[in-house]
Amino acid sequence: MSKWNDLQEHSFLESNARDRALGIVDDGTFTELAGPFDRLSSPHLELLGDAVAFDDGLVSGVGRIGKTPVFVVSQEGRFIGGSIGEVGGAKMANTIKLAIDFHDKLVADYPDLSEEEKPVLVISFETGGVRLHESNAGLLAHAEVMDLFQKARGKVPVISLIGSKVGCFGGMGFVAAATDVIIMSEFGRLGLTGPEVIEQEMGKEEFDSSDRALVFRTTGGRHKYIIGDANFLVADTIAAFREKVAELAPLPVAAFEEMRRVGSPETVERQVRGVALAAEMHPQDARDVWAKAGNDDPASLTDMPLAAFLGQVKRLSV
Amino acid sequence: MAQMSNDDTRKKRNQRAADTAARLEAAAPLFGAGKEVSSDNTVALLEAVIRAGDIVNIEGNNQKQADFLAESLNKVDRSKIHDLHMVQSAVPLASHLDLFENGIAKKLDFAFGGPQAGRVAKFISEGKLQLGAIHTYLELFGRYFLDLTPRVSLICAFKADRKGNLYTGFNTEDTPTIVEATKFRQGIVIAQVNEIVDELPRVDIPGDWIDAVIQSPKPFFVEPLFTRDPGLITDNQILLAMLCLKGIYAEYGVTSMNHGIGFLTSAIELLLPTYGEELGLKGKICTHMILNPHPTMIPAIETDWVDTIHCFGGELGMEDYVASRPDVFFIGPDGTLRSNRAFAQTAGHYALDMFIGGTLQIDKYGNSSTATASRVAGFGGAPNMGCDAKGRRHSTGAWLQCGQELPSLDQQLGTMPRGKRLVVQGVETFGEGRQPVFVDKLDAWKLAENANLDLPPVMIYGDDLTHIVTEEGVAYLNRCPDLDSRMAAIRAVAGYTDIGLQAKPEETKRLREANIVKTPDDLGVDPSRATRAMLAAKSVKDLVTWSNGLYNPPSRFRNW
Repeated sequence: MSKWNDLQEHSFLESNARDRALGIVDDGTFTELAGPFDRLSSPHLELLGDAVAFDDGLVSGVGRIGKTPVFVVSQEGRFIGGSIGEVGGAKMANTIKLAIDFHDKLVADYPDLSEEEKPVLVISFETGGVRLHESNAGLLAHAEVMDLFQKARGKVPVISLIGSKVGCFGGMGFVAAATDVIIMSEFGRLGLTGPEVIEQEMGKEEFDSSDRALVFRTTGGRHKYIIGDANFLVADTIAAFREKVAELAPLPVAAFEEMRRVGSPETVERQVRGVALAAEMHPQDARDVWAKAGNDDPASLTDMPLAAFLGQVKRLSV
Repeated sequence: MAQMSNDDTRKKRNQRAADTAARLEAAAPLFGAGKEVSSDNTVALLEAVIRAGDIVNIEGNNQKQADFLAESLNKVDRSKIHDLHMVQSAVPLASHLDLFENGIAKKLDFAFGGPQAGRVAKFISEGKLQLGAIHTYLELFGRYFLDLTPRVSLICAFKADRKGNLYTGFNTEDTPTIVEATKFRQGIVIAQVNEIVDELPRVDIPGDWIDAVIQSPKPFFVEPLFTRDPGLITDNQILLAMLCLKGIYAEYGVTSMNHGIGFLTSAIELLLPTYGEELGLKGKICTHMILNPHPTMIPAIETDWVDTIHCFGGELGMEDYVASRPDVFFIGPDGTLRSNRAFAQTAGHYALDMFIGGTLQIDKYGNSSTATASRVAGFGGAPNMGCDAKGRRHSTGAWLQCGQELPSLDQQLGTMPRGKRLVVQGVETFGEGRQPVFVDKLDAWKLAENANLDLPPVMIYGDDLTHIVTEEGVAYLNRCPDLDSRMAAIRAVAGYTDIGLQAKPEETKRLREANIVKTPDDLGVDPSRATRAMLAAKSVKDLVTWSNGLYNPPSRFRNW
């Protein structure tokens, strides 16, 4: 068995950034760009006397699923929490830029290209957002990426994968929200302000960050799927994420527009209705929202096997 | 010779009963319906029934805790109540040590220190705490019936009725032992309960053995001490687990055992349905266990590896799962588990073929200890199981084989055959904080000096230890003819620690030829296969799935 075959049944949660990048595209098709042998490491960390990584905690490259070229960005939580600094941020931005340029060239050279032959971009998030050691550069990277998403829109669909240990928080929570489609596992977490910071600012009564079950119930994949922040919930294997990406990749770009949760007058209205509902409901717990969505026994949803959950859960519509 | 007459002037040997009656009389106004005392009256009750210098027990092991009563005892008037002699299994709560800081208690006899181990050592050196002795559980329980019988015991239960009947259920643990010792020597027993109800699911402790029940303001604290997240098991621990299964479990056909707490034993449990199955060991090993309800046992139970598990205590979140597997666990007529530490420890001491656990340090002779220079951690139950029970008379295959391999037996018993318990330490050569596990001299010596102990606290003595498993291989110490060869075998598996670096390649080669040391290669264990893919469950969520949703992990273990 090749390494790629082994990877497929690996836990997505436990996989490092490179294994996720390798495994998400077809066997043997991944080419890493600006990889560790290029030794692009953070100049800021070096100045501070901190350890650096030769890939700066981010894997970027390109591969293929079937006929679809797939550009890949994959963040490594084990290097400074997957934080975005200058080099990692530049790698991320340039991969998106490369995908757009590639798309434009492809379409210009081959006007009859089928939808499934046009490129997509996949981002496997594992990050708490900006790397505080190099905050300005990190923030700038966030802005660049958001800007490039707008340029990619209608050309290169952007697919988020969230199922790694650190989750996806901070500025990168905004970035993920701005992508076309989000695929999560039940172990993935998505949010803006991290649980510890909410507790620190608002008190333990508001949010007890040591209550792991509460944290996951509020930011985890099942909740995000119910409230519509995540489009799809899949099992915790690289194969399951890959299968969902493979299913989406050949779709026409217009189909992705329908999966967006933000970025159009209709989605803005839906978001506003959601805010109004929250103000009206004053939910004390995520389960209140699950009940509102029509789930009679919301407490049972947490531990239910994934297949049963997907079979019977009712999602919030506003 | 005393005269028999109607005006008998001989001393009446019923002073304790009379004293108890007087104390309870003083407390009488505090009682509500039946034996119920309101939690507001707790401190007044304690002041009424406890006298300076009393031997007092606060129930609490490493799991359930009579925490409300411990806190209340700290609030008594110390001008009246002082110099208490505390006798209790464990002192894991801050309030247990506050008693000494507050001048209410003076002397301590215990078995296990837990998180307060540092304060125990500090208070001893400051003279705030006079240490009686550090015991093992059975040893301390034995002394409850000998010279350390509590005058007053403060215990805890899930539920009580107003007659004082108690339901201790899943977490029965030490309660029957404490209550029996105290009450049958005319002592006073006060129980904190989570709930006072009209009807109990079952009666674990009869009401006439209990003097007062108090519904505590919040449920007693239970620590999920035996839960290990499979997500944190490392490849190295999986390698050790494979070596244990092939080199020891299979080699001796060990059917009955206790697993100490730790990631290695969790890894072994999670390898039974995978690697164990592959080795064809089902039904041949691990059929009878003395063990708390470890969540990592769920896959092995679900694949029919285990006949019986008797538990010292409960484990938070395992209640429903355990209750639904009455073929395996000890379940009452009401359908819930009853644990019992004294019986589990008795089985652990006399009946088990093997104890396997980990430790912080092993010295060059094979003595091991979890003590550090500044913490009086205590022993708990490990030494009762991690030793050869000299009173054992029944035989089993594993016990006989381990004894037959002892080349030195004839020096003591001539030609008389005898078996031996397998006592196994499974350790990575560098443990927590990258500290070497193999050392020249145990930190326990420094602790003995710092805390004025008579002996260095040794968890498992070298002469009881039969096997060491590290990533370097298995040392079969029971096959060593003398101390020199034992020390050489220890060096051979001690890796890159200072002890291990003293190993001589020639010597190690001879030990391997004599089957005293076996490397992974000698055992046919391929280290490249030692990956997390081997685990039957890789996460707490997997355990929930294996349990068909019956295992309800505590919040801190939930990541979904």
